[in-house]
Amino acid sequence: MSPSPAELARIGLSWQPSGQAALRGPLLALAEDCDRAFVRLAGLWRAREERHPCSLPAERLQRVGYLRSFPHQASFAARLSPEEADLEAFLDGPVVDEHGALAQARLSPLSEVLTPAACYHVFSDRLGHSLAGPEFVTTRNSCFRREREYVPLRRLSGFTMREVVCLGTGADTAEFLRLAREALELFFPLAGLEPQWHPATDPFFRPRENPRYLLQRVDPVKYEAIYGGDLAIASTNRHHDHFGTGFGLTLDGRPVHSACVAFGLERWLFALTDRHGTDPERWPSLEAAAAKVCAELGGGAP
Amino acid sequence: MRSEQEFRDQLRSWIRSKSGEGETAALTDGTALFEERYLRSVHLPELLLLLERLCGEPIDVEELSPRDFRSIDAMVRRYARSGVAS
Repeated sequence: MSPSPAELARIGLSWQPSGQAALRGPLLALAEDCDRAFVRLAGLWRAREERHPCSLPAERLQRVGYLRSFPHQASFAARLSPEEADLEAFLDGPVVDEHGALAQARLSPLSEVLTPAACYHVFSDRLGHSLAGPEFVTTRNSCFRREREYVPLRRLSGFTMREVVCLGTGADTAEFLRLAREALELFFPLAGLEPQWHPATDPFFRPRENPRYLLQRVDPVKYEAIYGGDLAIASTNRHHDHFGTGFGLTLDGRPVHSACVAFGLERWLFALTDRHGTDPERWPSLEAAAAKVCAELGGGAP
Repeated sequence: MRSEQEFRDQLRSWIRSKSGEGETAALTDGTALFEERYLRSVHLPELLLLLERLCGEPIDVEELSPRDFRSIDAMVRRYARSGVAS
């Protein structure tokens, strides 16, 4: 049985009505152990760690059609208009109204999108680059998506995503995804989890009208590891040359292909506490499990 | 009534017209079209319209299955026999 909200609060979950989670104590330690495990798995490819900002220019995301595909999920970094008169009008009002919204707020034009997925930065930051060979990157970021409803540790407006990204040829990305799948199939049982892999599609706006949704129907590029029948805790994604073309990335004169493996950290907290309970003594050591996987597959950075 | 061979010929011709010049030398009826990037997402709406025209029946996008679109052979197998083609 899933832990109750009170049990989760006792081990460190502070749930915000906005759909975000604050973590402390044992739950934060578990989240960090998860993340260290994923970084350890990224060592299979000697992936380099990168840290990126919390937003991307809308112009950059437009290169790959993000806002046309997912306008219903986008969140933005908004700022008040810097005009003196606008700021004065704002201060003359109540500032925040009875519904919790800013009152009399005139905004600057919206140009920054809060990170929707960690890997977008990896491509955007390499805009126009010619790669000398395949590159493997791991990065973690807070990601933001508007949803119809929010559920603690399962569906959040702001959540933590760890990704491992491969940029290279089509063959490089196929081999990357093959090894990722093999690694995860060893890792899951060591974590006491037995998710089922299923082909999946991204949550496109008006999907029937979106060629990229149609492509995902006829050429399965996304697989999700589903825990408990309905919770995706990891996904593998083959982008073909979608990002390489959009961001002008080349390898040997041809658009770069890319693929990624993504983990939603808060969802792992749900799955692990659902499976093992809220007593930290009963939680598996995930970093040790990942190290075991790397040793078995004969790779990985020390 | 459109024969299976006509269906196949028209489909092959359309795919060749969408692939880059000089890129179709290795294209066969068994080639993995999306996997090997002969076709891309932007081609799909037009491909579905073509298949609807060739087989004479509407196609429900929720019924799309990867196994039916992998190659020219797969599309012929699925769609040339579902409609007026014989």
